[in-house]
Amino acid sequence: MTVPLAPAGSPRDRARGCLLGLAAGDALGAPAENMTPEAIAARWGVLSEVEGGGTDDTEYSLFAASLLLRHGHALTSRDVAEAWRAEIVARLDGPMRGAGFSELGTVQALRRGLGPPLSGRWHPHGWSDGLAMRAAPYGIFAAGDPDEAARLAEIDGRVSHSGEGVLGGRAVAAAVAVAMTGAAPDEVVEAGLRAVPEDSWTARAARKALAIARDTRERISREEFARVLHDSVVVKHYPWTDLAPEAVALAFSAYVRGGGEVEAAVVTAANLGRDADTTAAIAGALAGAGAGEAGVPERWARRVGPVAGRCLPVVAGRHVLDAADALTGRPQGGPADGRTDGPAGPSGVG
Amino acid sequence: MTLEGMKKSMSSGGGGTLPPEEDRILGAFAGLAIGDAAGWPAARHRSLRLAPWSRRLYRELDAFAEERQVTTLPVPFALNQPVEPLALGPSDDAEWLAWTAATIHEDRAEAFGRLAQRDDLRARISVWSALDNLAAGLGPPASGHDNPHFFDDAAAVRAVAFGAAGMDPVADAEVTNSGDGVLGAVAVATAVGALVRGAPMREAVDAAVAALPEDTAIGHAARAAVAVAREHGDPFSAVPALDAALLDHVYSYGVTAAETVPIALALADAAGPAFGAAVSAAACLASVADSAPALTGALAGAYAGYEALPRAWRETARTLAGCCLPELAGTDLLDVARTLASGGPQGSQAQGAT
Repeated sequence: MTVPLAPAGSPRDRARGCLLGLAAGDALGAPAENMTPEAIAARWGVLSEVEGGGTDDTEYSLFAASLLLRHGHALTSRDVAEAWRAEIVARLDGPMRGAGFSELGTVQALRRGLGPPLSGRWHPHGWSDGLAMRAAPYGIFAAGDPDEAARLAEIDGRVSHSGEGVLGGRAVAAAVAVAMTGAAPDEVVEAGLRAVPEDSWTARAARKALAIARDTRERISREEFARVLHDSVVVKHYPWTDLAPEAVALAFSAYVRGGGEVEAAVVTAANLGRDADTTAAIAGALAGAGAGEAGVPERWARRVGPVAGRCLPVVAGRHVLDAADALTGRPQGGPADGRTDGPAGPSGVG
Repeated sequence: MTLEGMKKSMSSGGGGTLPPEEDRILGAFAGLAIGDAAGWPAARHRSLRLAPWSRRLYRELDAFAEERQVTTLPVPFALNQPVEPLALGPSDDAEWLAWTAATIHEDRAEAFGRLAQRDDLRARISVWSALDNLAAGLGPPASGHDNPHFFDDAAAVRAVAFGAAGMDPVADAEVTNSGDGVLGAVAVATAVGALVRGAPMREAVDAAVAALPEDTAIGHAARAAVAVAREHGDPFSAVPALDAALLDHVYSYGVTAAETVPIALALADAAGPAFGAAVSAAACLASVADSAPALTGALAGAYAGYEALPRAWRETARTLAGCCLPELAGTDLLDVARTLASGGPQGSQAQGAT
């Protein structure tokens, strides 16, 4: 395992662990997206080795980080909408690769001239997990301040989401903000839940899923855990898997079952299927923030390079470790050091 | 009886000229069923009456067309089976309207709760998800809120019955929907209620639009749709502009209340008394052809009245197929509407709609 340059437990170390865990979870879960736990078990036994690159989760998180680096605490939804228009919509000249319904719906709304919050309401996918998947940088930036982290995530989310989709982003951002203090997993997820109303789908689903994780942690197999969790929070009569209340519930539950340890949390989440790249990315972000960079298995960290920009061309070439450093106050543009095959080239975050 | 009255009586096949309000209530029901029948998805829903293997063959033929690049697309067909289900006729929306009218005086969570124990239904994603929630002990409004399709128009279709009866649709809508899904029901009940009481179409549509907050998708879309259709003057002329103004074609299901309800309001408004023009224009919008023609037909039918609707369509659309609620097979929707118009059904009389 490489020796991280940032002191263990420092904000920078936790930020690097957070985004490295997110990127590793994204990559690990990607081939299992939309699969059932049974199908995953039949194909891999246990899916634990990263096969390819990350996807939208990592790239949109880098985009969110760039918003924070430009605007900081003064970020407004108008700034976010302007960035979407200039850096996402304007660069689209064909298919929007890797986009979910909420992203493409937002693009269409912005093209119609709508702005926040109507741009996030115009399409029916306000509840998508597209904000939750990119909310970790807000938690890093507002480490220790879950209210501020949730506020910033909501400012971002008002452009592309509404209702439960905004709540999913708030929950993840607040949870990461507390994970950045080294708090225990139970404390972290409770902070996430405090950022959303008790009378919400997100809170109801997460409470059910967390109860299962806490009650059964040592007692039931991975297969049984997946079955019980699916019966409890997975929507049966809807074919798409990108529901934020469901994704946040699965991710929080996997993180708690994994005891906050990066590999256990991420592997548990990825093997649950559904929106596996997103749930594993969220679980990885929470666990990585708690464990720091050294907590991310080196065999996974080695696979995390600069992103390809497959989903968001504007972030091509950026590395999550550069974003982590920048978000925690390190001057931008320097090499992301500490690993032999680490990120090359310009960080360019922001 | 006037000559006009006699003509109406003869054309309706009934026992005489209906009182105006009953005529308009029956018009709302028959209009919905005609629109339901007119949209292309009706035959697919009605094919649920056929054996599952015939629908499997249908899916395989669809794959064949894709693989072999043939533009000759399959349509629902009957092999070694009765062909009657595939004849022109009403499908899902007319059945859910009939069920609603037959249970309208019951507690809504209880009425749906009975459905939650069944496995022989066909229903929209919002309805099934709500039934799953009810079965898990989660009642309204959470059953409609913790719901991936809270925004669809299942409740808007049912709201035709509430509008016709002069009742508030919200308690019913909140069982299966939330947000724009509930607002869609409010808009439909508002418009149908006004029309049944004799309001002019424009007044009814304006009242429905006014019930939709401007900062919601459905409120924004309704204002855009009505403006676009008024600009183009008649329903058929407005079709391309409505497609461009409202439909993003991003999502895989075309039953979003924020799309179908505004289209129905706009086309009914543009049509005025021209029932056929409104419904056939809605049926031209392929992606929303499952329910937009039905909702349009309900509004236009409530305005025109039953006796003014085309006789052949009235007869074709009145007998339910039982493709979603099997016990409704053979039910005369007109009987259901008459019962509602006369103030029934009451309480437990409504347990079965057959």
